Amino acid sequence: MHPLLHLKYRLLAPLVLVLGAVIGYPLAFSLWVSLHNYTLTAIGQAKLVGAANYLGLLANPSYWRAIGNTVTFVLVAVGLELILGFGLALLLHHRATPLRHLFRSLLLTPMFITPIAVGLMFRFLLNSQLGIIPQALKALGIHVDWFGSRLALFSLALIDVWQWTPFMLLLLLAGLEALPTEPFEAARVDGASGWNMVRYVTLPLMRPVILAAVVIRMLDAFKVYEYVYAITRGGPGESTETIQYHIYRVGFLYFRMGEAAAMAYTLIIVVLILVIILFYVLRRSAT
Amino acid sequence: MKGKLLITILLALALGITACGPKPTPAATPASEAETPAAAATTAPPAPPSETVTLTVIMEQVPDYDIVAQLTPQFEAENPNIKIKFDAMPYDAMRDKILTSFLAPQATYDIIIVDNPWMDEFAKAGFLTPLDEYIAATPGYDFNDFVGPVREIGVVDGKVYGVPYYNYALGMIVRQDLFDNPDYQAKYQAKYGKPLTVPTTLEDYVQVGQFFKEQGIYGAAMQPQRGYKVFEEWKNWLYAAGGDLMDAQGNVIIDNEAAQKALELYIEMYKTAAPPDSLNWGFDESLRSMAAGESATMISYNWMLPTLNKPGGPAGDLAGKFALYEVPGGKAVLGTWHWAIPHNTPNKDAAWMFVSWLTSKMVDKQRVIMGGAPTRVSVMTDTEVWEKGFGKGYYETVLKILEDAEPLARGPHAEEIINEVGTYLNSAVAGEMSVAQALKAAAEKTREISARP
Repeated sequence: MHPLLHLKYRLLAPLVLVLGAVIGYPLAFSLWVSLHNYTLTAIGQAKLVGAANYLGLLANPSYWRAIGNTVTFVLVAVGLELILGFGLALLLHHRATPLRHLFRSLLLTPMFITPIAVGLMFRFLLNSQLGIIPQALKALGIHVDWFGSRLALFSLALIDVWQWTPFMLLLLLAGLEALPTEPFEAARVDGASGWNMVRYVTLPLMRPVILAAVVIRMLDAFKVYEYVYAITRGGPGESTETIQYHIYRVGFLYFRMGEAAAMAYTLIIVVLILVIILFYVLRRSAT
Repeated sequence: MKGKLLITILLALALGITACGPKPTPAATPASEAETPAAAATTAPPAPPSETVTLTVIMEQVPDYDIVAQLTPQFEAENPNIKIKFDAMPYDAMRDKILTSFLAPQATYDIIIVDNPWMDEFAKAGFLTPLDEYIAATPGYDFNDFVGPVREIGVVDGKVYGVPYYNYALGMIVRQDLFDNPDYQAKYQAKYGKPLTVPTTLEDYVQVGQFFKEQGIYGAAMQPQRGYKVFEEWKNWLYAAGGDLMDAQGNVIIDNEAAQKALELYIEMYKTAAPPDSLNWGFDESLRSMAAGESATMISYNWMLPTLNKPGGPAGDLAGKFALYEVPGGKAVLGTWHWAIPHNTPNKDAAWMFVSWLTSKMVDKQRVIMGGAPTRVSVMTDTEVWEKGFGKGYYETVLKILEDAEPLARGPHAEEIINEVGTYLNSAVAGEMSVAQALKAAAEKTREISARP
């Protein structure tokens, strides 16, 4: 029998074919597109341009601004989500917390709202003239221009924190509940308590879960588009233009698919690096 | 051959008309001035289909669509073999859906609506069916009854690719009660030595805006949101300062002195008279600000007036206190939607039957009486429309606005130019760039985009 006809390969074949069709082909096609001056209004005139679309990105300030904004957004949003999520997970894990099952359910609700609706909601909640949050702050004598050029990106990150901290909380809480009890008992016998317990026992034990949660959230946060689209459209200026929104503009508003595909490929590289880290972390924690 | 002959006849006719008629506006092209009905005798109107045909129509989900949907059963009753199916959606979903339909072997949509920045792009790419022969073959259609600048947007390289659906030209909407308030009038007279009137120059507009701000009401609910919105609003200021995006030869002049003045005054108005922290405002926030009685003026779509004045509408007790004027300087930014027929639909004749019925004088009048935004001169000057619609004054002002209006941008890259220039304008308003820097960058970007094939 030909080695390729072995049962295991035959069993794998349908999945490989499906993956090839739904992932392999689009990826290969977009790579081809990224190497051509492919414009949707003139598909018949697409010509091979080699790496020109990629080299063009090097001198494209809007692209680099979008990359910078996206990285800032991811670091701020995921960083805050980790701190808040971990704190909340510790609270909800603690048996002395009153009504912790009720709080657990309530805290999870934001992540069940579609992000575009969250964007529209905060667009008006944070509106200086019409929004309830600036009105409440005004009563306290605080004035914040949430969507001015200084704060707009940070405001979008905060909206992400509002929506996705529950996801971080869910993963970390599951991690906490799966931890063995012996190390905690041993630490308690040795006199550890409070912060020392968290610092020297919980955090080291939770490291793989935290890393996995952070990488999953980072992968998701890199895709930020809805808040930008619903609230700022990338403004003021380009201060909230994220890479996904930039790709959308070039590809679907201006129809310059070659350039958009090249940008998307650079994003794929970043995402692939994160995925490799995720697999590495998961494999290490499994062993 | 027939097409070439027709175009030659049309061109000859057009030249004859322009030679002895009034001087055409700069936007007019000779071929588009052609009196298309003259050729009516040469082509027969399309015959109704012998079997039932269902036409799929892509629409933007706006009040004007609801009116079209209400009118359509009349057409279906008159044409039992043609059924109309609407696919209504938000604006942002439309452009790529329309393009996907163009690229398919057979169109998803038999009839589309085209926003004015897309017209040249779609027509030059060969995606749209020329309508000249259909127009010529439709008795009593009277294409030239559409207001000139509105009609012109559907004409690309001398051929008609779209017929007007509705306009969204910009006008100045004001709180008339504030301008008529004797107390404010006296204070304004005392401070500036002239009567408080609706401003007709940029300098007066800024002054009036600042005056109202001092009285505790914002002078202008502006729309400086990045991209389309700020460009759409600011271009009215640009016209008022005597500037434009390009000159008659197609040279980019958006960084000249007139543009500098327009942007400096726009920013001054934003900083001294507009609601604070409104850098990301679009037309919906401005409308809310006007409706809530927080602002005295806004430059917005002319048909926002009936919305604000509607009893029981968003403005509550303020309904009836708003009035529409031309923008300062008189020349306004013109937006239009046009009906067009994709090149790849097999149902072109049936599609034209629906489009020509809907945009005919008779049905267009009904549409406007029901609240649709007008495009035909005969409809805007019709006494029945005045009585049953929003009153004589409103339609006369809209006609004046439309007659002296120019599209946001033209050419196959209009969408990109609007968005890119709008990014620099917003940067300048945000203080991230100086006026000179922003306009220089906008001009360079426009030149770069325009140079693309």
